[in-house]
Amino acid sequence: MIPLKTITRAMYVPAALFLGACCCNKPVARQEQPPAPAAPAEAQAPVKSVKLGDIFFDFDRSMITAESEAQLKTNAEWMAANKGKGLVCEGHCDERGTAEYNMALGERRAQSAKESLMSLGVSGDRLSTISYGEEKPFDTGHNEDAWAKNRRVHFVEK
Amino acid sequence: MKTVSYSLIRTIFALFCLVLLPSTLRAEEVREYIAISKEGSGRIAVVLDKIAAKGGKESEWAGSLDGTIQGGLDFTGLFNLMPAPLNIRSAQGGALNLGAIGSIGADVFVGGRVSAQNGNPALEMQVWDVTGKLLLSRKYGGQESALRDIGLRFCADLVELLTGKRSVFGTKIVFVSNRTGQKEVYLCDFDGSNIRQLTNTKSISLTPSVSSDGRFLAWTDFSSGRPDLYIRNLSTGSTVSVKKQGVCISPAWRPGTDECVTTLSHEGTQDLYLVKANGAVGRRLTSGHSIEVSATFSPDGSKMAFVSTREGPPQIFIQDLSTGAVRRLTYTGSYNTQPSWSPAGDKILYSSLQKNGEINIFAINTDGSGLLQLTSGSRNNEYPSWSPDGSMIVFSSTRDGSRKLYVMNADGTNQRPLLKMKGEQQQPSWSVRN
Repeated sequence: MIPLKTITRAMYVPAALFLGACCCNKPVARQEQPPAPAAPAEAQAPVKSVKLGDIFFDFDRSMITAESEAQLKTNAEWMAANKGKGLVCEGHCDERGTAEYNMALGERRAQSAKESLMSLGVSGDRLSTISYGEEKPFDTGHNEDAWAKNRRVHFVEK
Repeated sequence: MKTVSYSLIRTIFALFCLVLLPSTLRAEEVREYIAISKEGSGRIAVVLDKIAAKGGKESEWAGSLDGTIQGGLDFTGLFNLMPAPLNIRSAQGGALNLGAIGSIGADVFVGGRVSAQNGNPALEMQVWDVTGKLLLSRKYGGQESALRDIGLRFCADLVELLTGKRSVFGTKIVFVSNRTGQKEVYLCDFDGSNIRQLTNTKSISLTPSVSSDGRFLAWTDFSSGRPDLYIRNLSTGSTVSVKKQGVCISPAWRPGTDECVTTLSHEGTQDLYLVKANGAVGRRLTSGHSIEVSATFSPDGSKMAFVSTREGPPQIFIQDLSTGAVRRLTYTGSYNTQPSWSPAGDKILYSSLQKNGEINIFAINTDGSGLLQLTSGSRNNEYPSWSPDGSMIVFSSTRDGSRKLYVMNADGTNQRPLLKMKGEQQQPSWSVRN
């Protein structure tokens, strides 16, 4: 543990010295902060074209629709481009049906999304699932427009 | 032969009771009388006199008791309450003129007096029928702070005397409300009074259920970031959690035991499991790839009704816990959920999402016959739960906009709001006395 820390610190020193040229009054403790954003910025660049997006479902269904397949491929590409990242697949439902049934349905949607991403080459240990049932609607309206937006799996980086 | 000896025993028992209680309580007889007079009318006509008192503190108690007793009896939906006619007594404080009661169409007269005994209220109540027979004469006492309870104890006795059944008085309802901005579990008395917040998870709390002895509360909340099951001992306040991968939802207590059934998915499929009050996960009751959720037990705990998607969209099924035999209960409607098994064991309530977009509450006999629709034309009516005496049903409805709690009589009549409270209320579960 200590040697690793020492090495990490040693790597920060040149960067800190470099930054020090313009911020010479910064405290020394600054050296222990995470590195300058240079490296992540590089990794984020391709993400602009490959963006995580939600997938949507039919009423009382947890099957992946044809329209969702393209988005799942994109999400799988994002995972390939962000090797260090994991994803939480959040299953959501519209307000119709019962809260407790929808908790179960939301989990099945999340599970479907996870399995689909795994079939596209994403390792299962980078994926987790959670169901919010009908508890966190994206759109609080009470019509099919709102419901369609709420029957979804939302993907969150972790 | 068996019938004869049984009726003989009954007769002997009845005679024995008559000898034992010569002038006060002949409940069997009363019920019969009320049943006959009630035919076609639906409600028992009761003349409710003001409680007599000598002034001062005693009169304050009397006024409060009048309110409690009238409100309590009214709430049951069983009575048609009438004020005492002016000619009820021959003179000030004189003998009862029971003929006056009969002439206004009443079945019974209820009256009493409250006095102070060692500084505490002592209520003496009497119930007479129109023929001049004293049906009940009983004293109720307690601390001044328990005045409401004193009044409700009489209400409970009156209901039992006139209907032969236990009453809702003293029972409680748990439910979920977002009053604080987050969904928490609350408890109120049978009539919506005395609201108390039970959880403070500051997350999403769902599907509360209280055990039949009133000792344990089980619910699901997201306070850990995931939907876990929590079980609280309501007398000690200690809480255990059941943290398993996946969902954990809709616990229901098995009558007469310290175990509940809940849906878990840690083994890959969403199935029903028995869970002890100490949090130990026990027997798995279902298997397969369908959704199994929202179980409710028969009063003897031998069977459960639950929701399953094993044959397509959600329907209600009944499973025998000892044999594992399962049969489908509902065939009408394509989205039937939230079963609640009646305390008498003969009926099951459930909610159905209908083609017109409404959600309505239905009652069905456990053999699948006698389907009866209890709500209609009032948007979403969900989560029906029987009162422990089987006379009433609590449910949530969006009939006035946002989701609130309502009650109705077991036959669907007399639908009305249960309580006034900020925010939305849902998932009511009516529990026994505690």
